[in-house]
Amino acid sequence: MDEDIRRVAGTVLRAPFTRRTVRELLYCGIGGITGVIGFSITVVMLALGLTISVSVLGTVVGLLLLILALRVSRRLGGLHRRLAWWLLRYQVEAPPKFQRGTGILNRIDKRLRDRAAWRGVTYNLVKLPVAAVQLYAITIACIGLADITYPVDWVLFRHGATGPMVVVFPLLGGTFNVYGFAGTYLAAIAGAFCVLAGTWLARGINAGDRRLVRSLLGPSSMSERVSELERTRTLAVEDSAAALRRVERDLHDGAQMRLAALAMNLGMAREKLGDDDVARPDSATVRELLDAAHRNAVDALADLRDLARGIHPPALDNGLPSALATLAASSAIPASVTAEIGDRPAPAIETIAYFCAAELIANATKHSYANQIKINIFTERTGVLRLEVTDDGIGGADAAHGSGLAGLAQRVSTVDGRIDLSSPPGGPTTVSVELPLKA
Amino acid sequence: MMRVVIAEDAALLREGLTRLLEDRGHSVCAAVTDGDALLAAVAEHEPDVAVVDIRMPPTHTDEGLRAALAMRKAFPGTGVLMFSQYIETSYSAQLLEGGAAGVGYLLKDRVANVAEFAAALERVAGGGTALDPEVVSQLFRASRQRGGLATLTPRERQVLALMAEGRSNSAIAADLVVSGGAVEKHVASIFTKLGLPPDESDNRRVLAVLHYLGG
Repeated sequence: MDEDIRRVAGTVLRAPFTRRTVRELLYCGIGGITGVIGFSITVVMLALGLTISVSVLGTVVGLLLLILALRVSRRLGGLHRRLAWWLLRYQVEAPPKFQRGTGILNRIDKRLRDRAAWRGVTYNLVKLPVAAVQLYAITIACIGLADITYPVDWVLFRHGATGPMVVVFPLLGGTFNVYGFAGTYLAAIAGAFCVLAGTWLARGINAGDRRLVRSLLGPSSMSERVSELERTRTLAVEDSAAALRRVERDLHDGAQMRLAALAMNLGMAREKLGDDDVARPDSATVRELLDAAHRNAVDALADLRDLARGIHPPALDNGLPSALATLAASSAIPASVTAEIGDRPAPAIETIAYFCAAELIANATKHSYANQIKINIFTERTGVLRLEVTDDGIGGADAAHGSGLAGLAQRVSTVDGRIDLSSPPGGPTTVSVELPLKA
Repeated sequence: MMRVVIAEDAALLREGLTRLLEDRGHSVCAAVTDGDALLAAVAEHEPDVAVVDIRMPPTHTDEGLRAALAMRKAFPGTGVLMFSQYIETSYSAQLLEGGAAGVGYLLKDRVANVAEFAAALERVAGGGTALDPEVVSQLFRASRQRGGLATLTPRERQVLALMAEGRSNSAIAADLVVSGGAVEKHVASIFTKLGLPPDESDNRRVLAVLHYLGG
């Protein structure tokens, strides 16, 4: 029992000297300020948007303000999430990316129904009291630190001045006066007490804030998750149907057609040869027909090989690094691969990563005017495979206007992966694909 | 000599068919690549027969078939041979809806046997029928006359299938390597068993058989 008390007391008293406390207090300070700012922005924009949109003339402007408020809330949510990670090492996954609508009404509708953004708004509103406590906590701690220095201050800066020294003590009443060097020790003790109180208040309120961040800024409730899964499942089904259609089309227009032509050439050649052995027909014609047949057979083989590779690249059997090396070797722009893969990803993930790389290299070749492509694939943290394709081209790629990237994003989202694009005008362009190791 | 219009979007096959037919002394008036051009070419050249690919631009689905159906309405005297990589039951049903005279539906594979392909095309040009064995076996499978078909001997079913493809007695005899008399006997037996009116003309015989299978 005694030992328990001593241990608890030890933890309580040692807390101010840990690195964690510094982080928690920093979070209180930065998070508190961003919280107040976020609250103000949100309230002003929401209030303005709502009041303006009530009047007939202001509807459009009001709606735009509302949408702006929602977009800002999403951004602020991201900022708060990142703060929680940087300072508290508290990781919360981002909510699913916003799915842009098509057509103006649909876009507005989607924005207004963006649940992640509305949850961001809720966080911004709820954050105000939390931020107040956080700012109070860091204030107490800072004042406490100042109070602790009183004995030193008395000695260094008193220089014979008369009158009391005012000690700020925010916990009880606000201030008290000390009249002598001995009194400054009291101030120091009060200061230590403030530091301790601030530390623990910070920890307590941050624990509450973490919960808010998780529940309001994280990847949503079960129902949203379900609708996200439904959406990505539809994409997966459509994607595979489209892939099959492509295969059928390639077969129909490629190998099947060439083999039909081959059969026709051979049929005509046989006709020319006639039925009996004696007849020696026009051998030049027969040779010409056989040449055509031969060409068609070779072309059909090439078509089938391309098609088979398109369905499943055989190089993948030896793992992503060697498959990507093969891919890079056939790139029109010089491409280099660095791979650092720990656990081998699931086959479906490897296939997606491979086709992403192929598509991204093709995109770079078509649009970037690059001299060099770098392909970087590595496993990250736990359970994340990251593929980065960078080119030193002209940049300016736009995810919204490149159907290729949108298609990739769809394919990747079916396994809960995501794509990020960085392509400032002038380059370089980096596309980063994040995939789970297991599908 | 037949006068032929070809509608086929794959250049390799279009040129191959043209050469094949010209080699055999037929005249290819036009070789086009889509349905609209087909109708225009038929209107211009009034050929005996058109060879039509089913899948053509712009949609690559069934524009050839639709062009062929339009063509049969506008130019009933011109035969149509559909030429495709697939046999679709619904396509053959639509094609045969307006009667089997001057209609053909063959897999592209059949062109490997040049003589048979040419014979089929000549049949269609002459107002006859040329159905792919695949089409016929689909008709057999889909037919509701299973009871009647079950009374036939295997040989008689073979003969019935060849009749449904549009072959004449002599062609059937050659195919099965039997005498013409033997085929005639089989045909008579089939018609009795199925309760079809005996008919000497090949074309009307095909109609009767197809009508029976479709019924």
